[in-house]
Amino acid sequence: MASLGTFLLLAAFVTCSYAAVISVAGARRRSRRLIESGIGAFYLICAIMTAASAVLINAFLTGDYSIKYVVHYSDSVQPILYKLTSYWGGLDGSIMFWVFLLSIFGSLAVYVNRERHRELIPYVVATISVVQMFFLFLMVAHKNPFTTYLTAAPTEGEGLNPLLQNFYMAIHPPSLYTGFVGMTIPFAFGIAALITGHLDDSWLRAVRRWTMFSWLFLSFGLTLGMIWAYEELGWGGYWAWDPVENAGLLPWFTATAFLHSVMVQERRSMLRVWNVTLVIVTFFLTIFGTFMTRSGVVQSVHAFGDDPILARLFTGFMVVIVVFSFSLVIWRLPLLKARNELDSWLSREAAFLVNNWVLLFAALFVLFGTMFPTLSEAVTGNRLTVAGAFFNKWMTPVGLILLLLTGVGPLLAWRRSSFSNIGPQFVVPGVAGLAAAAVATVYFKIPIWPSGLCFALCGFVVGTIGQEFYKGAAIRSRNTGTDLFTALVGLVGKNKRRYGGYIVHVGIVLICFGFAGNARKLDEQMMLKLGQETKIGKYTIKSNGVKLVDDGQKQMTTAYLAVFVDGKEIDGLYPAQWRYRRHEQEPTTEVAIRRTPAEDLYAVLGGFDLADQSVTLQLVVNPLVNWIWVGFGIMALGTGIALLPERSFAFALAKMPAEAAATTVAILLMIVLGGGTSVSAQKGMGGDANTRTSFYARTPFEKEMQHEIVCTCGACGHQTLAECRKDPCPVSHEMRGQLAAMIDSGMNDRDKIIQAFIAKYGSEEMLGAPVDRGFSRLAWLFPYLVGATSAIAVGFAAVKWTRKPGAPASAAAPLDSALEERIDDELRDLD
Amino acid sequence: MTQRYIKLGLTATVLFGAFAALMWSTLQDGTEFFKHVDEVMSNPQQWEGKPLQLHGYVVPGSILKRQDTLEYKFKVQNNPARDSSQGHVVEASYTGIVPDTFKDEAEVVLRGKLTSSGFHTDPNGVVAKCPSKYQEKQGAGL
Repeated sequence: MASLGTFLLLAAFVTCSYAAVISVAGARRRSRRLIESGIGAFYLICAIMTAASAVLINAFLTGDYSIKYVVHYSDSVQPILYKLTSYWGGLDGSIMFWVFLLSIFGSLAVYVNRERHRELIPYVVATISVVQMFFLFLMVAHKNPFTTYLTAAPTEGEGLNPLLQNFYMAIHPPSLYTGFVGMTIPFAFGIAALITGHLDDSWLRAVRRWTMFSWLFLSFGLTLGMIWAYEELGWGGYWAWDPVENAGLLPWFTATAFLHSVMVQERRSMLRVWNVTLVIVTFFLTIFGTFMTRSGVVQSVHAFGDDPILARLFTGFMVVIVVFSFSLVIWRLPLLKARNELDSWLSREAAFLVNNWVLLFAALFVLFGTMFPTLSEAVTGNRLTVAGAFFNKWMTPVGLILLLLTGVGPLLAWRRSSFSNIGPQFVVPGVAGLAAAAVATVYFKIPIWPSGLCFALCGFVVGTIGQEFYKGAAIRSRNTGTDLFTALVGLVGKNKRRYGGYIVHVGIVLICFGFAGNARKLDEQMMLKLGQETKIGKYTIKSNGVKLVDDGQKQMTTAYLAVFVDGKEIDGLYPAQWRYRRHEQEPTTEVAIRRTPAEDLYAVLGGFDLADQSVTLQLVVNPLVNWIWVGFGIMALGTGIALLPERSFAFALAKMPAEAAATTVAILLMIVLGGGTSVSAQKGMGGDANTRTSFYARTPFEKEMQHEIVCTCGACGHQTLAECRKDPCPVSHEMRGQLAAMIDSGMNDRDKIIQAFIAKYGSEEMLGAPVDRGFSRLAWLFPYLVGATSAIAVGFAAVKWTRKPGAPASAAAPLDSALEERIDDELRDLD
Repeated sequence: MTQRYIKLGLTATVLFGAFAALMWSTLQDGTEFFKHVDEVMSNPQQWEGKPLQLHGYVVPGSILKRQDTLEYKFKVQNNPARDSSQGHVVEASYTGIVPDTFKDEAEVVLRGKLTSSGFHTDPNGVVAKCPSKYQEKQGAGL
């Protein structure tokens, strides 16, 4: 099988070179047949890469340990989900996954645009093919995932790093990759537009949604990374300015800038060079980020190892990208001339411009900080590093300026505003901002810099957005004669991009709100003996000792902590350390978190002594942190709305947008359901297995409990007690016995049984899911929020696409002439 | 037209200057020297009091912990424990939770300052790499 994989990669490489050459030749000779042949070859790459991926996945599933990559990143006891995700668990496979995604996205983009942007397509095909060639070359020449052992192959794999055996980790890389790879499409269209000279706005329209789509996944990937760091790494925070994290953030900044500045070009035909540059820079940064983390240039806790050959190959490729792209831009400068100039600094385009500068500055700054150790070593010979505090110091004002612009931008008119015009508009947001500031600083006694200011700005932005929604809805309601709510829905439906964008901004506000909570973060380390107490914030924590359990796959050491507030015991926390077999040197920290909307209480077991039952703890109180995750959910909702086609008949006209939207919601749904299906699928299997071994459920209640509690043997992939019976599994057998005994002894309360199991096994591991209680519900809420978003988006799309075009246009009744003009202005633009 | 360019140039210079000055001043207290034990201990006076990230290996058997506290004392050597020579050795102190991977022979990076009585590690200043052969750690996806 391995040789088949290698052969497929070679075949893909050859096909890529053919597609690139024949497309360019076809375009130059204006030969339709050559171009079609190039497109055909391009689709073929997609097919070949799918086959190659199937070969690799098959190798993981069947445990083909003759392949080195499979040995390194999997073993036979791994749950199937993690066997699949091992595909991109290492360097070689992640490059292959990259090409695989690129071939799919590329084919999709070419397929939907091949008629509308006929003149661009051959160069799009050529550009994407060249990028694919580079990555394929990396694999074929240097990092082939199908490399086999020359001599005796091992009979068992080494297993994926336990830290990565986590649900968020399974979906985080593909999400981030989707974002990264998706940015190649706008780049390819940009290059094609530059080469052909078709530099009107049509290429922008082809790529705007792709960028939005990629941006969504980039954001999603970054958020998942944060959640993973918070829940799995156990240091109490979620963002450490690690080079790997920064690598994901860099293109996010430039893509965000592009999504804003593209509106200025559509609207005012300005910033044309700027937009092309942003597209190129974004693509460059995705490659650069990959380079940074793959080649060992920058030291990072979780970068792949050193690899000088890879570093050289990447450097060469990046130089080619920069020289080639910017030569094209310079060559086409005459065609890229702006048709308008900035009329006034008090205008929306100026706000966008400032926003772009700040975002670009943020990207450059993070790039500088990340590369600083390498740069300083090259220049001075001393390796100087910058700490996270340095980033925070700089990025805090940057974030606050962006937040301010988020609130100011919508209040300004295009072209020019006057102070007398916009004055009244600032009243509501201003009051909201001041109120928020007053509450934060006076009531909660939060220092004004930076958190107090952040809360004030959050209030301001929410005020602005609320005002925009209200005024728009009020006008529409008057004109259409409907009630305010219907008008609001209609308003959003009619200007999805604009109001979707506002919803994204609400998400951003919530995220900033969560960040600002850091001002009140408490972080303490202490040692507690049996029965000793300590205080953190409003909580009193009492240690009830530590216990060691071995389940055959790992040793679990769990501390038992009781949490008191005002002398009343309100909860228990069970932080743990797990040591997996074959990974004894890398214990994983199982954090215990008590979530509430106001703050998280977060406990990490740092060390323990079984003899005298003392535990070393890190306790953290993280205020408002959950709002970050909620904010992302709202951001996803907003982006989903903005991604829907502008008009019903746009669906037929512009296929890509609709498909992008549909793909987005489909993928989001898949991700959300992914978590759920594993549970439900297993539930489906439970019935017949029940008859095989002992302790079948005798009562409906026992059956329910058997479906609720998960086997901890580690070999079955967390099946429930009712299901883990295929091989006689001693662990689940024993657990079923315990359950039966508990029920026999008269325990018939679900919570009591669960508590008893938690106490016995020392963690919440045997719960198939987080306890659905208190604010642990948020962990449930997050996927559902994303799911609901998708569902609404799908419904919206379905209704929209089936409706006949030509909704009645409404004549606007003048009310507030300035506002009216402004809204009118924008509606005309967007409709 | 020329006047406009002069204005633009002046603004750009001022902005850039302010930016560079700010950057420089924040960099001063934001940076740390990344050094190996040998580099520092061959001339300790020169490095005393400077913010350092010290790279080395824990000397086997040197970790001491005061009973019922989180105070640690240990020694760090320049070369990996399996090498024939240790290279320079420095005494280090730390108070707080140590990472799980902090143990004899572990490769460590300590953040803190050198004093005449040894290396004082900052709170949360111990970063330990695991000594296992598991090299390629896949991190946040990229």
